[in-house]
Amino acid sequence: MLRRVQINDLQVSFNGEEILKDLSLDVSPGQMYAIIGPNGAGKSTLLKSILGLIHPQHGEIVLSCDQKKPVIGYVPQSRVIDDDMPICARDFISLGQVSSFFPWPSRREKRILHEMMIFTDTDRLAKKPVGKLSGGERQRVFLAQALVRHPDLLLLDESTANLDPDAQTRMMELVKKAVHEWGVTVLFICHDFQMVRAYADHILLMTRGYYKTGDVQSILDDQAMLKNVFQSSFDEGVTHHEGSASSGLSVSASSR
Amino acid sequence: MFQYDFMQHAFIAGTLIAIMCGVIGVFIIARSLSFVAHTISHIGFAGAAFAAYAGIDPLVGLLAFTLAGSVGVGQMGVRMFRRDASISVILSLALGLGILFLSLGNIQGNYSRTLLFGSVVGIDLQDIWQIVAITLFVLIALCAGYRWLKFDSFDQVGAQAAGLPIRWISIGFLLLMAVATSVTIQIVGALLVFSLMTVPAAAARLYTQSIFGMILLSSLIAVLSVWFGLVSGYYTNAPVSFFIVAFDAVSYFLGIIYHRLMERRRAVA
Ligand SMILES: Nc1ncnc2c1ncn2[C@@H]1O[C@H](COP(=O)(O)OP(=O)(O)O)[C@@H](O)[C@H]1O
Ligand SMILES: [Mg+2]
Repeated sequence: MLRRVQINDLQVSFNGEEILKDLSLDVSPGQMYAIIGPNGAGKSTLLKSILGLIHPQHGEIVLSCDQKKPVIGYVPQSRVIDDDMPICARDFISLGQVSSFFPWPSRREKRILHEMMIFTDTDRLAKKPVGKLSGGERQRVFLAQALVRHPDLLLLDESTANLDPDAQTRMMELVKKAVHEWGVTVLFICHDFQMVRAYADHILLMTRGYYKTGDVQSILDDQAMLKNVFQSSFDEGVTHHEGSASSGLSVSASSR
Repeated sequence: MFQYDFMQHAFIAGTLIAIMCGVIGVFIIARSLSFVAHTISHIGFAGAAFAAYAGIDPLVGLLAFTLAGSVGVGQMGVRMFRRDASISVILSLALGLGILFLSLGNIQGNYSRTLLFGSVVGIDLQDIWQIVAITLFVLIALCAGYRWLKFDSFDQVGAQAAGLPIRWISIGFLLLMAVATSVTIQIVGALLVFSLMTVPAAAARLYTQSIFGMILLSSLIAVLSVWFGLVSGYYTNAPVSFFIVAFDAVSYFLGIIYHRLMERRRAVA
């Protein structure tokens, strides 16, 4: 089990533009930590830095585990599922099992795969091509692929976006169950405050250069601060829109 | 027909090569590398022509050129290679070089034909051993790297997130493709390597959604096509390659019909 996740003074920039600046975060094991903030705030960038896909210019990320290397499960924000390569859900989930070099799965791996498919209720989708699944089913398949690796830390990047309320609840209930059963620590990016209120223990609110952490009440009940953080990015969007309209491109802009 | 040594040799060599091409093809298709495979086979043609011109073992020339070629592709970045026009430039350049070497070496038209279209009759025992060794090497490497390669080929985002060294997997696979291409060119010719490596795999994915199923079916189609080609070629004297490609193409088009029918059934259910 994970002992702690600690991020100190993280700084990430792309082409000289600072996306994350002096971000610090302390996550206790077994927590569900929500990350909220407007588009472009750097939320996905933060998760990718934790995964090691992005190398920060400055700062450190400490993940420590008892007696082993921590395993991170990740459900990315976007994933290209090629309709031309229709592999079935079962095979897609078992792709996550890479801890052995034998080409065929061991009895233990088969058992784990089966358990995880029951757990995520994907067993009846086993033979369906992933490209043909609904949004909610797909997210559960992605979650199952992350879970077969027995992660200590689970990173979910907008996994409930574009799902109907039922499917959202179903997905989050699964994540919560994983926390209870295996003590997984979860960082999840989510735009739905209702979901955050229902499932998060802690929140990181972020926008460019401004970060605030706290428990659910202290963040979500501070209407003024939320409005401030989300409004500023909303204003940018409006200005942008007016800009394109005044330049005489409104027709082509709206037809796109 | 098995009373002839050359037919025995052709069957052994053809079967081994078909299995190898069938397996590797599934990953070529999954990684959208068909055109890279096509290019590497033309680079192989240049290599074999160079070997003939320089008077060295054709396999050495083939391996040298295709391995260097695949490292080059890896350096340029496979992603860009899939769409970019540079692919046609390299392919044409390889073809041009091959023609140059053939003319410089004053190579007979017979040999050029073999290089391009393949020849199944000239396989001696030593060639067989070479083919056994190389196909075994490729198959063992594919087995050892199976899980990583499978993950990276079918879900690159997931593989990267799981911490797999996707860059090395990509380069390793290109090198294996080069080796497989080199040995296959000697039998089926530079122009048809590509079809044996991609058509059975492209057909297989129309029949099944399981990765292991695709691998089995793809090699089965490849093997049957080679057998069909050898037998038909023996009795009709028409080119073996034609029958091989025809068989693969038919299984592909039947696959499309089957796939459509299944889709319709799924839609009704
Ligand atoms: N690999 C990259 N190269 C350049 N810029 C990037 C890269 N990844 C993200 N960005 C930029 O960083 C900013 C934050 O992106 P992201 O972390 O995806 O935001 P969020 O997930 O909060 O919506 C965006 O402006 C985006 O354009
Ligand atoms: Mg994002």
